Amino acid sequence: MTAAGRLPALEVRHLTVSYGARPALWDVDASFPAGAMSAIVGPNGSGKSTLIRAALGLVPADAGQSSVDGRPARSALDRVAYVPQREAVDWDFPITVREVVEMGRYRHAGWVRRLRARDREVVDSALERVGMAALARRQIGALSGGQRQRAFIARALAQEAGLMLLDEPFQGIDARTEAALLGLLGELRDAGTSLVVVHHDLATVRAAFDWALVLNVRAVAQGPVGEVMTAEILRRAYGAASLGLDDQALEDALWAG
Amino acid sequence: MGGLISLIPLPYPDAVVALGALVLGVTAGVLGAFAVLPRRSLVGDALAHAALPGVCLAFILTGAKDPAALLAGAAVAGLVGAVLIILIERTSRIRPDAAIGVVLSVFFSLGIVLLTAISHSGNAQQAGLERYLFGQAAGLVERDVVVMGLVGAAGLSLVLVLLRPLRAAMFDREFAGSIGLPVRALELATTVLLVAAIVIGLRMVGAILMVAMLVVPAVAARQLTGRLGPLLLVAAGVGALVGVSGALLSARAEAPTGPVVVLVGVLLVVALLLLAPGRGVLWGWARRRRERRRESATALLVDIESLMHAGPPPTLEQVALASARPRPHLRRALRDLDRAGLVAHDGERLRLTESGAAAAHAALERRRLWSAWLEHGWQIGVPGAVEPDPRDLRGSLGDQAADRLERLAREAAA
Repeated sequence: MTAAGRLPALEVRHLTVSYGARPALWDVDASFPAGAMSAIVGPNGSGKSTLIRAALGLVPADAGQSSVDGRPARSALDRVAYVPQREAVDWDFPITVREVVEMGRYRHAGWVRRLRARDREVVDSALERVGMAALARRQIGALSGGQRQRAFIARALAQEAGLMLLDEPFQGIDARTEAALLGLLGELRDAGTSLVVVHHDLATVRAAFDWALVLNVRAVAQGPVGEVMTAEILRRAYGAASLGLDDQALEDALWAG
Repeated sequence: MGGLISLIPLPYPDAVVALGALVLGVTAGVLGAFAVLPRRSLVGDALAHAALPGVCLAFILTGAKDPAALLAGAAVAGLVGAVLIILIERTSRIRPDAAIGVVLSVFFSLGIVLLTAISHSGNAQQAGLERYLFGQAAGLVERDVVVMGLVGAAGLSLVLVLLRPLRAAMFDREFAGSIGLPVRALELATTVLLVAAIVIGLRMVGAILMVAMLVVPAVAARQLTGRLGPLLLVAAGVGALVGVSGALLSARAEAPTGPVVVLVGVLLVVALLLLAPGRGVLWGWARRRRERRRESATALLVDIESLMHAGPPPTLEQVALASARPRPHLRRALRDLDRAGLVAHDGERLRLTESGAAAAHAALERRRLWSAWLEHGWQIGVPGAVEPDPRDLRGSLGDQAADRLERLAREAAA
């Protein structure tokens, strides 16, 4: 799945970030292959979201660099589409679904000029692709959790970026929407987009993803899911007690998805 | 300027006041939205209070009541207050609301002390400075309006240029950062916009109540529209309406302008909170009440239907015992059914009419369809991002999906 010789889609080196005294990430080296669907897994507070946000320069890093397609990430932001956690957003804000998706074209269209016909076409097809075309004129607060996430993913699609970063995209949405969106992300991967997804459901990682980074402040392991998502490695990341499963049950759970 | 004022069909002093209030209303209405929407209204309040010592210091330094100098002082003090709020928030563990409270009270106290000192200084020029507390529309002169207009035009042009980045940063800060927008600089820009609005309003509305001119138009406009562009236009209109009517009223009544403007504005906001189409609280109540009554009537319909299956037509008393619902609810539901012609009375006993039986069957059908959805829904594909609505599953999923569900339910039963 990874073309030989292609640079990693996203790479961080020696990344250290701290909030207050405690490090959230400590000297993390990680790289995510191009054209693959990668997951970042780890317990709560292990720095999964921080890794993505620091890689994009949204939180200041104490040390380390990040690169996208081999270029410093801050100068390659036009190649990245980021879907932040939905809790960060004010849902009563006066904005329609379509206007949210149009934000994905701001960088292409320029900050001040009107959107061109081509931008509007991209927005239309992004809405169509996530099944939200009929709801485009709704105020964003009038949507269900799953529909909001569809709108956010449509905005990322409209960015037409080679790398898509999603932070807990399936938290708090219904199983039907999760399956539909997971399928859509798979289609994007097949079409050549690189994806990095912060994910909490260990069972679906093995079934749906190609590559995984297991994180707990430090990088515990990374590689193809078949090699990384093992009971032994996960126990190291999570601590055995917190999973409450013996090895066999854990293996079964991982393969069940 | 003089030409513009002569166009207004009012006596000259009133015309100046009206024009000034118009400039203030439009500017504060639009710029205030950038305090209300990111939930920073109290920052606007703190900055208005913080402007007062700036006015006093400018007077002490220049020794005259030149509007441009006084407002420049207000702007500088407002910006210093804004920077202090941001510094306190970022460098200490003090929360934003506390930081706002501290800056507001410290600056305002300083302003009052300076104001008192000036009034005891014996400077003949000082009379009237205290109008910066509560505002005074009467006595506004053309030169004031010119200064207000220039500051307002600058603020509104900045909004026009930055509208798209500002919208992105206010709605979704994280995303805005990820597409390379300088989010902190934009937040600073919105603060500068607020200070501009405050500087314009200080003379007319006063430091204490200026926040109302910022908040009222945006809140009123949000009741009427769910999009930012129209919201800014409506807020400008509301600001103009509230500002002009409040200023003229206060000038006639020789009352301080601030309180009059606030009272006019609050009347408007209360009316819109209650009555705005879609968002009005009253409509919400009425809608919920209607839905409860409809559900209650449908439940009675279904109860009568099932009791009629079990035996002779029931009395209301028997329905009450079977359904364990309070009798007043049942009596009201029965009145609704009567009015719709769905039940017939045989003395005490209740029967469903033909249309009543059809309605009861339709209600049962909807319940069965929902059960089928819960049981077999995972097997059928649903187009797009539709949300199943228990009360009208067929309407929300479409006929095709509903037919498939019914088929699956029949196959499972067979």
